[in-house]
Order: sequence, then structure tokens, then C-alpha cells
Amino acid sequence: MSRLRFALAQGVLLPDALAALRAVGLDVSGLGEDRRLVVPSGDIEFVLARPGDIATYVERGAADLGIVGKDVLMESAARVLELADLRFGACRFVVAAPRDALERSLDEYRHLGSLEVATKYPRVAEEHFRRRGIQVEIVKVAGSAELAPQVGLADWIVDLVATGATLAANDLAVVEEIATSTARLIANPAAYQLRRNEIAPLALRLAAWAAAR
Amino acid sequence: MPILAPPRGFRDILPTEARELRAIEHALDETFTSYGYVPIEPPMVERVIADSGADRQRLMQFLDRDGSLVALRPDITTAVARLVAQRYRDATGALRLSYFAPVFREEPAMLGAEREYDQAGVELVGPSGPLADAEVLALLAESLARCGLRDATIEVGHVGVVRRAFADLNDDDSAAVIDALRAGDHVTAFRRAADAGMRDGALARARNALAARGRTIEAVDIDGVDELREVIHLARDLFAGEPLWGVPNLSLVPELPYYTGVVFEALHPKSGFPIAAGGRYDLLLGAFGTPRRATGFAISVPRLHLALFQSGWRPARERALVSLAPAGTRETAQVAAALRARGVVVAIGAVAERAGLEIVDAAVVAGDRVRMADGRVVTADELAREVS
Repeated sequence: MSRLRFALAQGVLLPDALAALRAVGLDVSGLGEDRRLVVPSGDIEFVLARPGDIATYVERGAADLGIVGKDVLMESAARVLELADLRFGACRFVVAAPRDALERSLDEYRHLGSLEVATKYPRVAEEHFRRRGIQVEIVKVAGSAELAPQVGLADWIVDLVATGATLAANDLAVVEEIATSTARLIANPAAYQLRRNEIAPLALRLAAWAAAR
Repeated sequence: MPILAPPRGFRDILPTEARELRAIEHALDETFTSYGYVPIEPPMVERVIADSGADRQRLMQFLDRDGSLVALRPDITTAVARLVAQRYRDATGALRLSYFAPVFREEPAMLGAEREYDQAGVELVGPSGPLADAEVLALLAESLARCGLRDATIEVGHVGVVRRAFADLNDDDSAAVIDALRAGDHVTAFRRAADAGMRDGALARARNALAARGRTIEAVDIDGVDELREVIHLARDLFAGEPLWGVPNLSLVPELPYYTGVVFEALHPKSGFPIAAGGRYDLLLGAFGTPRRATGFAISVPRLHLALFQSGWRPARERALVSLAPAGTRETAQVAAALRARGVVVAIGAVAERAGLEIVDAAVVAGDRVRMADGRVVTADELAREVS
């Protein structure tokens, strides 16, 4: 049988993910040290990919397992199994508005009937405002949503925040929290069944490691 | 130039692929027929019903001229439920229906997803109990085997057992937990159960139940597990097949909400997605005003085809195609007729699309004789023997 393929998100989650894998006894020594994207290690083949792609790889069975933030899963709506909360990479989806402009934008909403919301996460934003019954126009931006209210592109933003420092530096305040996010161990549903003997013990060990932290 | 490509998510199926799909359709049709299933052909377009369980976002829907909302059918099961409620309202006994037909789903752009693809399946309406559940399970296993698929396993779960594992919770919490499981989110499911006050012991029992697959199911002590095991044993009596094709597996909680009892998915090592899925859906017909027991399955034909292809399967060899180079028109017509009368497959002239068929070149000579590529001149009878 082929190696179990395990996709890891490059970027901020990678050091914690590697620490977790090391802690449960996997050899991750070759990962992230050079430019290789596919790194075999014993019975496992690690694959490095952008966070947004991990869910796609796992959903389509190109990878059997993955570690990726819940935020990415919420935005992608990929059909994967979430097996364990690994508890690192904590961040929050929030609605934020210019610190002094909350009242003004609510007044605008009364008069104009709609708010403009800039975000990198249109699916999460749309779902949230639909649930709240607030009429919004989503403006999709590729980065730095916190810029949007300052230049008049949008009234509010929906963004992912870890510490809130970026919001504060741009004079934005949290209006409400949409959801919290941490890293998740995910599996392709078919692979989880067919390779349960390999995946289940690994998932248990990672869950136990996360619970003990 | 007009745009020649079909709309997004639709495509042409060219002869090589179409021949393979026909071979699959034929094998499935024979197997369904052998279990007493008869074909049914619901319409391509159905009314959109508010609570039919279909995800409205994924319907290809449009307004009819009278203002009613209609959609290209997203599956056949819902259409059959509607049809049974309308046409077989008073029928008693078992209704065994089969189909092989395209379904339509709106898919997000850029994922390479098709909006139209073939589904093949059966619905067994009326009977309930282990033998009925086992029948559709065995029929799925036998259908895949008769198509030539090896190494498929069918994972068999039980939605009722999973619900009972969370029976300590009130209705709202229990529904939220099951919703999370349907979405594949075990993290949220168990967190919600714990937050709702489910005791540690019960939580651990539910965790163990959901993790049980294969033999470990014997340790699970929840009502319905025995029934699940009995169904698998019966199914294996109905169709022996490869050893251990039926695997009890309680982690299986399908995305669609209308399932009530035994559920199953066919998996294959070459496919990242289930090839087929089905189960007992006793609540769906009730939504159309005719509560009836029902179970069935649907095979995704493209996924089955892909798994077959990647395992090295090719359709059984058909008779070679004789490409007949014409001489005079009358003589050519007579030779073609003489060959076809002897069961030879003949195309006059050069063949632009061989669709994977073996081509035998032959040129009309005179008086019902042809010259082969190697220069031999043979009669229609001799050629018929050579290519049969």
C-alpha cells in the first residue's frame, strides 16, 4: 500500500504543526528545511501546500490527512472529516468597524438599507450576515481588509485576528465575534475508512497531545 | 466564431468513453434486472419542494412560464419518492425500481466539477427489516463486481444507532450534534455534546461507537448494532463476492438528512470519493404525503468508471470493425450487405473515429470478394470467419 499522504499548511501554522507531529513520535526532520514540497518519512509522505489548498487536496483525496485552520475550512466549505482540535493557531473571525464610526454606519444602514463589508472571507461573511438578517454588500479583497474603511471602500470589515494589534493600529474596533478558530486534523472521508488502521491511532495520539497542553 | 465549448460544467462524451459507459450501463442493468428491479424514467425537470432535503444552493433551478420554481433533478431518489406518492399511492407489496439517468447539480466554479453526470441506482419501496436492507446492500456489491470492479468495500453504518448514542441529550442538542456529524465535523459534534452536559461515560461510549469499524463493532452495546450485523451477514448470504466486502462502520453519517436506518457507502482505493451511497430513508416519502418504508442506493457512474479505468479495466472486446474501401458503388453496396448478413460490422470508407475498436481494412474487389491489407483476396464467408 502507498504511503499515507499528510498535507501541512505552510506559513504560521507550520512550526506548531511540526512540533505536534514530533511530539507524537513522527520524524519531521526533512520538512521546511529546503524547498522540497513532498517529503517522505517512514510510512508517511508529507506534502507542503498553501493553507487554502489543504482542504481541497484532502477533499479530493490527493492527500489522506491534513492540518489546517478551522478558518480555512469555514471559508472553503470543503467536505472533509474534522477529527481533532489541535488547539494551536488560535484566532477569531470578527466584524470590525472604524472605532468612532459604529453609530454613523448604523445610521447609514437605516437610511441606505445596506452596508458594504470588505473581506478576504466572502463565504464566512455572507453566511454570518445572512444569519443575523443584516443586508450587506460583500466586497472581496485579496489582502489588508483593514485598509478598506479608511479609504472609503467599505463601512465594515470581516477579518481574521489573532491578537487584534493590526485592528488597533488601524483604528478599528471589534463589533462582534463570528467564530473562533484553531488548527484541525482533517481526513479525506474515504481514506479515513479505508486506512482507518493507520489514521485512527495517529488521530488519537494527536488529540491526546492537544488535550494535554 | 461562435463559442464551441458547452456551458460550464457540461461536456461532450465522445465515442471511446461512451462505449465504456454503455458497457457499465449494460452490466448494471443486467444485475438490477436479476433482482427483480424494473426500470423507471422520471422527468428531467421537477418542481422545487421546500422541505425535500435537497440543498437549494446546489439546484440548477429556473422559473417556469406560470411562475412556479422548477429545477433540473438533482437526484432520482426524490423524483421516485414524488412519483410513488402520486402513482403508487395505494400499492401494496414491494416496489422495485431501477434507473440509469443524468442528474444535475450546481457546483462552485473552478473546481472542475461537472453539473451533469449519470447516476445508476435502485429504490426498494414497501418492505422494511433486515432482509430488505440486505437486499439492496447485496445488489450494490454484486453490481460493482459485475462491472468488473475489484477491491471495493462497502462501509455499512446505522443512523439510528448514532442517534441513540446521543439519546441522553435533549432534541435541540441532539439535532445539533447529528448536524455536525453529517458535515463531517467530529470536533464540533463532541464539543456540543459535552457542553450540553452529556456525562463523561456516555461521551466516551459515543466516541467508541463512532470509532468502531469492522470487528470492533462487537464491543459496541447500543440498540440496533445487532441489526446492523445481521444485515451484513444476510447480504453476504445473498452475494458472497470477495471476502469481507461489507464492513460495519458507525462513523458513516451521510450528508443528506433523510436517512433513518442502515446506510452505506462503496469505497475503492483508487477513488478519493465514495463511488456509491445509499440506505434506508423512511421519512422521505412522508414528505410527499405517502409515508412508506424505502431503501435504495445511487452509484455515481463517472466515479465508478474512473475507479474501473484506474484499476486497468477496459470494456470486453467487441467485434472488429471492417473498414471497407469502396470500388464501384453497386459492388460496394452488395459486398457491404453480404458481409453484414454474415454478422460482420462494416463501415464504408475510412474511419475517422474508431472509439477503441479494432479496425480491419478491406477493399472491395469484385463479385463479393475483398482484398485484405496483406494482399490476400478472400470471400465474404472467409472474412466473416476471420473477424468473428
